[in-house]
Amino acid sequence: MSNMTQVHQALGAFDKTTSRWGRITMIMGLFFSLAAPAYLVFFAGLDITISGILTAFGALAAVFGVIWIVEPLTYFPILGAPSMYQAFMIGNISNKLLPAAMIAQSTIGVKAGTRKGELATIAAICGAATVHLLSLFIFVGLLGTWLVSVIPVDVVHTVQLYILPTVMGAVVVQAIVSQKAPRSAVIALVVSLIVVFVLVPLIPGFALYATAVAVISTAALAWLLRDRSKLGAPEDVTAETELPEGPVY
Amino acid sequence: MSIPAALPAAVADSNSTDILAIANSPFLWACAVGVFLVIVLQSIIYLKAADTAAPHVGMTKDELKTSFRAGAISALGPSLAVVMVAVALLTVFGTPAVLVRIGLIGSVSYETAAAAIAAKTAGAELGGPTYTQAVFGLALAAMSLGGAMWMIATLILTPLLKRGDSALRKVNPAIMLVVPGAAMIAAFMVLGLGELSKSWLHVVAFVSSAAIMTVLMLIAKRVNKPWIKEWALGIAIILSLAITYAATRLP
Repeated sequence: MSNMTQVHQALGAFDKTTSRWGRITMIMGLFFSLAAPAYLVFFAGLDITISGILTAFGALAAVFGVIWIVEPLTYFPILGAPSMYQAFMIGNISNKLLPAAMIAQSTIGVKAGTRKGELATIAAICGAATVHLLSLFIFVGLLGTWLVSVIPVDVVHTVQLYILPTVMGAVVVQAIVSQKAPRSAVIALVVSLIVVFVLVPLIPGFALYATAVAVISTAALAWLLRDRSKLGAPEDVTAETELPEGPVY
Repeated sequence: MSIPAALPAAVADSNSTDILAIANSPFLWACAVGVFLVIVLQSIIYLKAADTAAPHVGMTKDELKTSFRAGAISALGPSLAVVMVAVALLTVFGTPAVLVRIGLIGSVSYETAAAAIAAKTAGAELGGPTYTQAVFGLALAAMSLGGAMWMIATLILTPLLKRGDSALRKVNPAIMLVVPGAAMIAAFMVLGLGELSKSWLHVVAFVSSAAIMTVLMLIAKRVNKPWIKEWALGIAIILSLAITYAATRLP
């Protein structure tokens, strides 16, 4: 057997193992992540209706539906097929897994997109996953409840009441900076202001659709009013060069 | 539908605001541990496969080990930043849901936004007096289904993209660069601005968090230290919560 066929066979076996087990483990993860809410909905004795869930899911789909599809498309050329199954289960892709992969590749001096680069990415993501699982297990799983218990009750109360505006305040800024799309940011601001301070107070019952309407109209306007001189030709825009740099994804 | 709680551990009461009684129930813990173990299993299988394939592409065991170590070290900062945010959210979602949704599969921005949107469809809001056990259940169901969509998209698209890598470049023109980014900014912005009309303390929380994040981003750019960006979200959330807490104590 020649050397080339041996290499070919070894890589074929590698692809087979990772695509089969990548899929199996991801389906297992999917099962566990859906089993928890299924238990609450069907067996915990809470008054939750299927129609209520569908309404909530519909509202989410209107807001994040595009991103569900676009994120896997964007990351595929950078991560490669095997690491896709790792990345979308471990999470925190752009702020942790991509930097981990890039640092590993530059440390051993290989390029993304090569077979060596692919293996370096896998090892780097495994390393990152080890650190991430350990730190979550220790500081959130084991010590988390204790950490919260030593915090005074009125502080916990403040956290519960005001966590949403604090998260959104920081995330909005981070999204604007990392996307590097000032035009879209201005459109989003104008649309959001109109929706929140004009349409919601004026039209009863509109609050339910506020987020979806704002998102869809911003997306449409950003597309219509895009800078055509810069974003005209599809060939010169690739996912790699225009990747958002911030940890928003 | 309401089946009486069969398990003594689950003190289910749809209208109770004692979220943690249900959010920390043993079954939810078991599911969280399940996700942890699946990732461990996946990592072991992948490392073994990479170890077997490495010599055939001219990669030494040392290079593989170095890659693993580089990945581990570079994840230290981001992981601890996630932990910081996760602990802040424990009282809202309970430990198992925070571990799985915010710590793993999802991320703090999407999951908090998803939970808020879901609660809104039931006429409730996170953390407040309307945030009952039933609303938590609904929010967790919506967050999990939303997260599942990412996984399902990955499961369907990865094999397709593997076959037609070059086709991606044709369907990936300007629309993919403009639309998702704009949609994302709008989603976070409208959710954030919607908080402002609730009370002046909500304004304090939102504005201080946005201001701290702006300052941190400017500093990160000025001194060119990427770790500041990794920690920025955690720092902004903790500091602005402290400011909001101080504001609630004002006479």
